[in-house]
Amino acid sequence: MTITAIGKIEKKGFGFGVWALVSEEGKTYELQSPPPELCQPQAKVKIKGTIQEGVMTLAMIGPVLAIASYEIIS
Amino acid sequence: MKKLLFVVLFLVGIWFTVSYFIETKGLANKGNFDSIIINFENDLPTENISQELAIVSQSAKQEPSLNSIFSIDQHLYTVKGDKSLLHKLRTSSIKKYTEYIEPNYIYKTLETANDPDYSKQWNFRSINVEKAWDNNHGEGITVAVIDTGVSRVPDLRDTDFVEGYDFVNDRIDASDDNGHGTHVAGTIAQSTNNNYGVAGIAYRAKIMPLKVLSAGGGGTVADIAEAIRFAADHGASVVNLSLGGGGESTVLKDAIDYAYSKGVAIVAAAGNENQNSASYPGRYPKVISVAALDATGNKAPYSNFGAGVDISAPGGSEQGKEGKILQETLDPATRKPVLIGFQGTSMAAPHVAGTVALIQSSQLQVAKQEMAKNPKTKIKAEDLKATDVSSPAEVLDILKQSSRKVQDDSFNYYGAGQLNAGEAVTLAVQGKLSFKDFFRWLRDNGYLNPIFWFDGGAIAVLPKILMIVGSYLLAFLLRVYVPLQWGAPLNWGLIFGSSGLFFLQGFYIFDLPQWPFRIMGSSFPELGNSFQGSHLLNPFFASVLIPLGFLLLLLGNRSGKSFAVGITLGVASYLIVSAIFNPDLWLLGAGTVSQVFLGVNALLCIFLAWLATKGEQRLV
Repeated sequence: MTITAIGKIEKKGFGFGVWALVSEEGKTYELQSPPPELCQPQAKVKIKGTIQEGVMTLAMIGPVLAIASYEIIS
Repeated sequence: MKKLLFVVLFLVGIWFTVSYFIETKGLANKGNFDSIIINFENDLPTENISQELAIVSQSAKQEPSLNSIFSIDQHLYTVKGDKSLLHKLRTSSIKKYTEYIEPNYIYKTLETANDPDYSKQWNFRSINVEKAWDNNHGEGITVAVIDTGVSRVPDLRDTDFVEGYDFVNDRIDASDDNGHGTHVAGTIAQSTNNNYGVAGIAYRAKIMPLKVLSAGGGGTVADIAEAIRFAADHGASVVNLSLGGGGESTVLKDAIDYAYSKGVAIVAAAGNENQNSASYPGRYPKVISVAALDATGNKAPYSNFGAGVDISAPGGSEQGKEGKILQETLDPATRKPVLIGFQGTSMAAPHVAGTVALIQSSQLQVAKQEMAKNPKTKIKAEDLKATDVSSPAEVLDILKQSSRKVQDDSFNYYGAGQLNAGEAVTLAVQGKLSFKDFFRWLRDNGYLNPIFWFDGGAIAVLPKILMIVGSYLLAFLLRVYVPLQWGAPLNWGLIFGSSGLFFLQGFYIFDLPQWPFRIMGSSFPELGNSFQGSHLLNPFFASVLIPLGFLLLLLGNRSGKSFAVGITLGVASYLIVSAIFNPDLWLLGAGTVSQVFLGVNALLCIFLAWLATKGEQRLV
């Protein structure tokens, strides 16, 4: 499933920490192998990607998002 | 007749309370002893003491001795002996010369750990692990840790490992490149009493490292399914899955069914989304799904809850000082060992997996001892495996029965309760669960204790029954003065007004929110608080207002009116029972004000029912 979501980038404190997109609607997506720019807090980004149904993680914070493209808005 | 019934109920209550006290607080059924104390009366002449000691020597076939040099004046003697000698002495002629004859109980401290940072492991004390260590430490059990791999950090060097597999890189070496799996393995079996670091729960169990998650912390369901099958085929009797997410998967479900059928207990984290249902794989019915508690024993803020949650265990929280779960792991950035606190349902699951290892070890030990007694089965005893004597269903039963119940858990934050490893092992040692065990469990959890029923702290079945019986009693009393239309509308009115279909409140169905069941399972006076899952009654709902509304709306219709009268009497009964047992109202608090409010509204309801049916009488 492909989605486009806008929100902020946050580090979630599970294990040594994972990077997540918290959308404006309040949904949390765990970012799969994020690029360095998305491995730091960002106020507003737009990410296009696909939800990985067959992937499980240690963080368990929400659907896993494989990033196809992204844009730092602010 | 009524008086007699109350007297019988009172006596039964007293009996349960006293027997509960004796069983749990008294020493008579608890302590071990191998000697007996004889305390002669202080003013007894020395020659009499000598005579009596000679009698004791005859019975015990040995000389009694003074307990210490300080016992001379006290006339305090001890003699080796057991229960039968104790009975013999207590019924002999020396009894009348003594102040008491009693067992010389042996007291011992519970086993603790010498690991220097053990004192920081609040989580181990909260699951009562030291009591469990009194019985075993997980000997003979293999726990599969399906995770990011496990590396042998210094505090895992004394822990036994069996060969695992790295399903991410397809190789036998399943070392950790993330740090999560090593931390999880630490909670289960960190090397303990090694004067280093921290402790593990089942530290004599063997760890089977199975790597399915990459350094980034993600992995495929295909790899996870294969790892579960690998664990079941290579001697693991417990599997820990501190991972989750994604959707339902046939390949994973089949692997879980396979392992379950081979006697393997599968434990998984409930997930960290703070949502009302466990994540997969914790959500599968054959998986023991674990929610997380913080250091105060409350639900951790991130923990999933509701559907699928079987039990709760410490998962820690970053809120509060030293509130996380401390174990040694590998820092992936420096590749060096580090003692670090983590939080998550990932940390809660291994507390349960470790406890399952302790349960299975007890079961194995008991079964081996039983087999060793019989010369025909003695040889086979050594080959016995945990999966031969323990089933996952039985393990789950033990975990649930031994857990600390949390009253008023409307959202199922805690499953059956909070993990209690000490009680779980005690229950497992007792062997198969009999009716007696069930009875003991009922009693130990207070279900047979009158306080449970009358302190109003729990949503109990008895008040509900009182409410419904009370509503029928009111209807029965009122029938003398006014004609009631007995039939389905009145009956449903009485039920919905008093108790509601309260059994529905315990229903959980995957993916569905639980609040519709709470609403359907509530009586009308409870509707104001059941949506929020609060136990505080809403004074607008728990009043005469709802019955008044129904009567005004349905007065013109014969069946409708009957239904409304039923509701009015039902609500009256509900309010009376609440006023007596649980007068706790939102805005008004718990106390006399609420009691008066509920009482007055109950009287208004009865008056309203009388008024409504009086009108009908005039019409007829």
